[in-house]
Amino acid sequence: MAERGEDFNDVLDDWFIESLKTYKDLHVYQLEHPTQVIEWTSGKTVCVAGYSSSKNEILELQLPLKLFADENKGLCAERDFKVVHGGFTDGPVRCLRHVPGTRCVVTNDGLTSDLQVWTVGGDDSDVIRRTGSVAGRKRRRTDSEGGSRIAARCSTQVLHGAQSDDIQLTHLTSGQILYTPEITSSDPLSSLQFVSDDVFLAGCCNGNIYLTDTRTSASPQLSPAPASPGESVLWWTDAAAGVSSGSVVRLSSSGRAVISDLRNLGAAVSQAQLSVQSRRCNPDDVTVSWAPALPGCIAVSGFSGVVQIYNTSVWGVELQEVQPLFGHRGHAVSSLPEEGDVFITSHAWHPERPRTLLSAASDGSVHVWDWVDQSASDR
Amino acid sequence: MTCIKLIFSRRPRLKVGRLLGAALTSRRCLHDEQVTRESSALPIIHHSKYVCDLPLNHRFPMGKFPRVLHFLIKDQVITEKQVWVPEIASKELLSCVHTEEYLNNFINGKINEQEQRRTGFPWSEGIVRRCRYETGGTVLAAEVALQRGLACSTAGGTHHAFPSFGSGFCLLNDLAVAAKYLMGISSHKRKILIVDLDVHQGDGTAFIFKEEPSVFTFSVHCGKNFPLRKQQSDLDISVEDGMEDKEYLSTVETHLPLLLETFRPDLVLYDAGVDPHWEDELGRLRLTDQGLYQRDLYVMKTVVSRGVPIAAVIGGGYSRDIDRLALRHSILHRAATQVWRDCGM
Repeated sequence: MAERGEDFNDVLDDWFIESLKTYKDLHVYQLEHPTQVIEWTSGKTVCVAGYSSSKNEILELQLPLKLFADENKGLCAERDFKVVHGGFTDGPVRCLRHVPGTRCVVTNDGLTSDLQVWTVGGDDSDVIRRTGSVAGRKRRRTDSEGGSRIAARCSTQVLHGAQSDDIQLTHLTSGQILYTPEITSSDPLSSLQFVSDDVFLAGCCNGNIYLTDTRTSASPQLSPAPASPGESVLWWTDAAAGVSSGSVVRLSSSGRAVISDLRNLGAAVSQAQLSVQSRRCNPDDVTVSWAPALPGCIAVSGFSGVVQIYNTSVWGVELQEVQPLFGHRGHAVSSLPEEGDVFITSHAWHPERPRTLLSAASDGSVHVWDWVDQSASDR
Repeated sequence: MTCIKLIFSRRPRLKVGRLLGAALTSRRCLHDEQVTRESSALPIIHHSKYVCDLPLNHRFPMGKFPRVLHFLIKDQVITEKQVWVPEIASKELLSCVHTEEYLNNFINGKINEQEQRRTGFPWSEGIVRRCRYETGGTVLAAEVALQRGLACSTAGGTHHAFPSFGSGFCLLNDLAVAAKYLMGISSHKRKILIVDLDVHQGDGTAFIFKEEPSVFTFSVHCGKNFPLRKQQSDLDISVEDGMEDKEYLSTVETHLPLLLETFRPDLVLYDAGVDPHWEDELGRLRLTDQGLYQRDLYVMKTVVSRGVPIAAVIGGGYSRDIDRLALRHSILHRAATQVWRDCGM
């Protein structure tokens, strides 16, 4: 046993030396229980929460300040994550969103379509406490569906729903339903996000996308899934908000990624077969997201213990296998062999720093990393 | 320039071994003529080839070596006349620690990619050359210390190198080569104490001298720092993250005098790594500039006042601000200058 331990230490030592070259910054943290959610609450803080079946911790973590001390890294000794606020939930947290301009976050437990509203800190308190709830429309749920997706664009309203026919825009404090899109089919959702103040996109697990303008009473535009003959796959969607604004990516559980333009979702601008191990996935497992500040780049996680970055701007129209621009292997490398395969449960790009991401894995590890652009350092 | 320095710097093909003999001879004849102030000042060992080119943005702060010398001269701590220039370490010299196979592969660029990755360096002729000069520098510092009582290199401390492989930015183990070489081979070997206060354990050195009774390896390091896989020094003190000046100094004071008393070395090799500093990017301790200065002063004074020669190397330090780091490394030489003065050397 001691020998095995030494071998593992050796692996960690190898990884440490390699990481010095591969990353500008890399900081690790260990949660007592894994999180499935990572949500920015400010430029330096994120919220995470457990997903075990009963009581869980919900935490606001401050990232190591050293990460942000770009010009003066030597002068900042703070290289640890810090828990700045914490609280307890009664159930799992499957989805968590920050309400912009407030100190509130909204969660869903995946068991009902109701939302829990929390206030983070305030009045010198370090507690995250439950301060409200938002009732969802449908109560009935089955286990094979993911929970409610949540989106928030302004400080007083929240958009949520578990399926395409129970999406609603609700006033946060009064609970008044402000808008519901005219959608009759009942497709479980894998994503819900605003693409502008009044327009939102609902991505379904079956690959359908509904584009809805809340200013009109017209039915949302439906864009069906890319044809995938013979395959029964799940789809995830993300619409870019930053430098790649206007682009939409659809990713299937078999690793096929299709890029479209928001104004013409029916057509594929480009596509690629990603280098991922396809596995039996639940809707909550996989995350695909556009980089806010790195043109054309997406991050993909959930297929394994690696977070992959792809540069979609070099993809063609023909479906071809592509290699990632970068892979963050830290969680896979540093997980104890006896714990079995570790999987990435969530990732999030930093809103401004081009190559900074956060990632969380099934073993409770949370990493923040800023990788080195290898192409720039070639001589 | 003194006669000794001529020998060391103007005959490139002379092996270090022969130089030692030559130096001793010259010393005897020089003894009466040696009056110039500079030659009697603290010896500083430096070579311009301590550096080589590295890929852009490489994490190893290669630029620090010449900057250490630069600041010492600029701040008038030393003059150029105190600088001794080492020879490149010959393959023969290196083979007293490193395996034939490793040296052949190392010198001829046959280190495979996996092995290179563990060292943190891509192989190049430049890196081979600079490591050999660095090792030559540490050996010269040890030799000069035996003659003068105290000497400092502006590089050195590559303690993660093992006989057959490199690791953690170390490709050759300079301290081990110096110790092995100066230990001698006669029945009455010199006893060498290696005091390694770099924040990372001197694992390579510990391994090399594990079964050697004439060399005592003493390492104070942070347990959570690289390497996680530790070797066994003769005395390992593993400290907790965040340790500060007072407790750190107290730790050194607890062990060093006792070691000198019981082991009774004929020579001390001192790795004065600055990575226990709170600003160090990799180290997890919290020493200040003052703490490092007190530490170095304490170590060198304690050894010198017992009449034991001591050679010091700068050890590890990691920062993206090269000048700030070089200044930190120069604390060692400033402390050594103080010791030289205080002990009337």
